[in-house]
Amino acid sequence: MESTISLKTKGKGKGSKGASSSDDKSKFDFVKEWSNWSLKKAKVATHYGFIPLIIIIGMNSDPKPNLFQLLSPV
Amino acid sequence: MADLLPPLMAAQVDAKTKVDEKVDYSNLPSPVPYEELHREAFMSLKADNFEGLRFDFTKALNQKFSLSHSVMMGPTEVPSQSAETIKIPTAHYEFGANYFEPKLMLIGRVMTDGRLNARLKADLTDKLIVKANAQITNEPHLSHAMFNFDYMGSDYRAQLQLGNSALIGATYIQSVTNRLSLGGEVFWAGVPRKSGIGYAARYESDKMVATAQVASTGAVVMNYVQKISEKVSLATDFMFNYFSRDVTASVGYDYILRQARVRGKIDSNGVASALLEERLSMGLNFLLSAELDHKKKDYKFGFGLTVG
Repeated sequence: MESTISLKTKGKGKGSKGASSSDDKSKFDFVKEWSNWSLKKAKVATHYGFIPLIIIIGMNSDPKPNLFQLLSPV
Repeated sequence: MADLLPPLMAAQVDAKTKVDEKVDYSNLPSPVPYEELHREAFMSLKADNFEGLRFDFTKALNQKFSLSHSVMMGPTEVPSQSAETIKIPTAHYEFGANYFEPKLMLIGRVMTDGRLNARLKADLTDKLIVKANAQITNEPHLSHAMFNFDYMGSDYRAQLQLGNSALIGATYIQSVTNRLSLGGEVFWAGVPRKSGIGYAARYESDKMVATAQVASTGAVVMNYVQKISEKVSLATDFMFNYFSRDVTASVGYDYILRQARVRGKIDSNGVASALLEERLSMGLNFLLSAELDHKKKDYKFGFGLTVG
């Protein structure tokens, strides 16, 4: 929360200098924020989905094992 | 003239002609990958000694797909400020899934506390391999990932590494003759802003391997492995850091017997360790590990069983 407050005040300060420079800065910030957001989502997706992905790919490879073999401990 | 020489002289002449045979510089073998430069030495000198109980069960569902269940119980070390090591007994269970195909390999391991360790290796083309390795935890800012792109040429290998907190590295290794390969690496880390460069050389023959590596972080590593017979090999290693002035020398052995494999080493830091892996029957392996650190008075013993 503190970091977002400081970003906003920086933006207001620079906006008074020149319109073009603030546009470039906000484009770069936009790309950075978007890449941060997508990396966070990719991290969560990998965390929950990697092992199920391996299991799905493995269960569809041939010879196809059946569900009982997946769940039984023997 | 050859039949006038006594048999011993004839054998020496034959050996000499074999060594001096013309090296075909246009057709050199592919070198060992840069990260596996010290592979033979680290097999005996950096065996994975553990403390406590270890039980691994791997269940193969078909040729390509297998599941693994691992239980580990024992004291784990916690980094502490004082000179004493603090050990906290922990127990964890790890579930893993592996998928192996000639062109794609996926390995995933998840622990009871939610940590995921994921590895991927894919052959995009004949010569280009992409590898990814990630450790993801629930705590923020403690996860990391690394991507490697390897290109294998006819007598060289090049690799590009990208890591998650702005870490970029590149390595290159080239076969110079049939036995000698030289390589270098360069890396740049964003978070502690530093960069480094290193060089490495590896000389191997049928019976021995010698490697040396220097890096601008101050680390110098040299090792030598001699294969005494099919079953026995001995290795020795010398590491020093010219900034922090730490020196470590170690000597180790690796005995590969029919039913067992014993690896041990002794160190100049006063550490003696050994690892025994014995095959009790088909698919059942028994492990015994011991590590005695006489300087810090820390003695670790471990035993385990691997099924499948």
